Amino acid sequence: MTWMRKLALTTALVAGLSAPVAAEDIKFGLLQDFTAVYTFVTGQYNQGQQDYLALLNAEGGIDGNTVTAIVRDTGNQPQRGIEAYNRAKEEGAILFDFLSTPVSAAVLDQIQADKNILITPAHGRGDASDGTVFPYVFPMMPTYWAQAATLIDHMKSTDGLDGKKIAFVHIDSPFGREPLPILEALAAEEGFEYQAFPYASPGNEQSAAWSEVRRYRPDYVMIWGAGGGQAVSVRTAIQNGVRPEQIHSVIWLAETDAANVGPAMKGVKRFEATASGTEHPILQRIQQQVIDAGKGSGDQANVGNSYYNLGVATMAIAAEAARLGLEGGQPLTGETLKAGFEKIAGYDAEGLLPAVTYTAEDHQGGGAGRVSEWDGEKWVPVSDWTVAYPDLIRRVIEESATKYKEGN
Amino acid sequence: MFYRLSGTYHTSYAADRKLWKIPADRWMVILLLILAVLAPLYVSPLYLGSYVLPWVIWSAAALSLTLLMGLAGQLHFGFAAVMAIGAYASIHLVRFGVPFELALLLSGLIAAAIGTVFGGAALRVKGLYLVMATLAMQYLVDWVVVNVPAISGGAHATLRTPEVSFLFVPVESLAARYWLALGWAVVLTVFFMNVKRTSFGRALVAIRDKDFAAAVIGVDPFRTKLMAFATSSFMGGVTGAILAYCFYRAVTPEQFGFNVSIQLVAMVLVGGLGSVIGSWLGAGFVLLMPIFLTNVVSGLAAGGWVPVSQNFLSHLPLMIYGAMIIGFLLLEPLGLAKIYDNIRKYFLVWPFRHARS
Repeated sequence: MTWMRKLALTTALVAGLSAPVAAEDIKFGLLQDFTAVYTFVTGQYNQGQQDYLALLNAEGGIDGNTVTAIVRDTGNQPQRGIEAYNRAKEEGAILFDFLSTPVSAAVLDQIQADKNILITPAHGRGDASDGTVFPYVFPMMPTYWAQAATLIDHMKSTDGLDGKKIAFVHIDSPFGREPLPILEALAAEEGFEYQAFPYASPGNEQSAAWSEVRRYRPDYVMIWGAGGGQAVSVRTAIQNGVRPEQIHSVIWLAETDAANVGPAMKGVKRFEATASGTEHPILQRIQQQVIDAGKGSGDQANVGNSYYNLGVATMAIAAEAARLGLEGGQPLTGETLKAGFEKIAGYDAEGLLPAVTYTAEDHQGGGAGRVSEWDGEKWVPVSDWTVAYPDLIRRVIEESATKYKEGN
Repeated sequence: MFYRLSGTYHTSYAADRKLWKIPADRWMVILLLILAVLAPLYVSPLYLGSYVLPWVIWSAAALSLTLLMGLAGQLHFGFAAVMAIGAYASIHLVRFGVPFELALLLSGLIAAAIGTVFGGAALRVKGLYLVMATLAMQYLVDWVVVNVPAISGGAHATLRTPEVSFLFVPVESLAARYWLALGWAVVLTVFFMNVKRTSFGRALVAIRDKDFAAAVIGVDPFRTKLMAFATSSFMGGVTGAILAYCFYRAVTPEQFGFNVSIQLVAMVLVGGLGSVIGSWLGAGFVLLMPIFLTNVVSGLAAGGWVPVSQNFLSHLPLMIYGAMIIGFLLLEPLGLAKIYDNIRKYFLVWPFRHARS
């Protein structure tokens, strides 16, 4: 009979240990590309995300609920992304960030059918900002259309645009061509002239495009690429007589690129959706409670980098959405998390972000951003957080979302 | 003992020409087929949708490629482009109003036509030079897809597959999609096993081994090489369409990039050139091993067994994977199929040592 008693006791003990505690564990799937195409950003970005979640848990979680990140490498391969998504979904994740356009595209329809949240900050489809067509997708941050508009708005504020010439130098891919409708529309409105100069992917060699740019004699230059090609763009531009101050970049230009270009980089401008540097309350607390406590998830030197802060910001917004989603007293699911996102109004992550507001229609969060300039050591903002040409951006988003409804 | 060879005599030509002459092999294949068909009943949706389904489809792709590379000896490093043609053609055909069944066949024919044009290079060049010609195909097709919005589907270059039904069964549920893919893979497998014994298959082998010698004995290299490209591209094109409708359901150019071509070549080489079981094993290895290793390593890391940075942790499975490929090829240069063959031969006569074949 002793064995029966032992068995009963053990069962009771095991059941007692695994019984659900009052607070639940919220799971986010950060299934990203650490090994293939997006390596220039993923390491720092994911480090920021994990460190922010560590800070959140150290400070007591979201109303006592802890947040766990499920982190996997997908190698930018859609079929691996689908596997990672299905597995994380089974493990209970309700929010996903793939940081990979092909993987996000492959999972998009499934994730909406499953009513889980897909966040696509600074990647993926811009038209997913239309929450009526993409109810469970949150681009969260300014789309590439909004980024292009913000850069043009900044050019306008510095020296005017009437009769000016803009050279748009971009990687020859759907991502590189994305701002073209914005340029087309604004050229007519603001009276400037522009020309597109594509270079072949991945952009290690761009001299052909830039000697064309030299002949075009532009007043402003916009560079639209990502990864190693960005440093090549800046370097080749300067070799071809473009002044650094004329160069305006998409969000993908960071400290690493500045280190690769060297001192010549001083004066180059880029779009930013989050502030960089460590002079922010959240970053300070991460430094004290996560990094100094030895709980950081990567190289300490990355803390405060542009992409690191971008990662921090994504998780800060997601955590705020989870907090608001839990307010109703219901358990957190994809649906309540979506409702939480749509309750966010004027949230600025203690100054790390422009104030963002999500509604059932607008999943971009307003699209505010600013322009910052490399001063030789760090990125210094040269404009305030602004929303440029919101009506135009919204129109482009809705046009594209309509096409998605039709099957593209 | 396991295969019970004693008493198995082939007394008629028909018995001697069976695909699986030994009853034990036959039963094994029948059992596997039954297990495969019933998979949706006992495999969880996670494993069916993320492992078994892609494995079946990629095996079909590897079979298509190994017809060209293994049987006919023509290297092809742009096979993902062939599949892309099939996928895009099938979607646009269905949208145009063509019934799905017919669209599958037509997309295969379109892929065959374009594949054969590029295969024309094989009439003049061999080996590495042919690799260059097929690489050109990969990049040309990629470029056309990306730069013609009418093909790729607008600014975001994503094309969703329309709702279709195959022989009145909607290709919608996971089980239906799996069965369609399995059906196509079985058709290709049976076709491949039989083509080896036809005059066309023997002509392909003759061309592979030495094309002028083949010409001397009356095999027309011109016709045979082009036929090899056409057949293989047809199979690849339909497989691409199956991949689009049954697995991805939203087609983007990245799904058929250069790295996918290399993966397909790796499947064929790791599995064993020109082998049916090699295509299945190779596809399984190349497709699923990185996923499996990633999950194992992440599991170990979660348990605190691998105290390294996230970055190194993500690359660790790749290192193990690379070492495994080198290891397998050192152990048996003829691929996984040969490893299977060695094991089978050992058990054919077990507990004795020497096998006839």
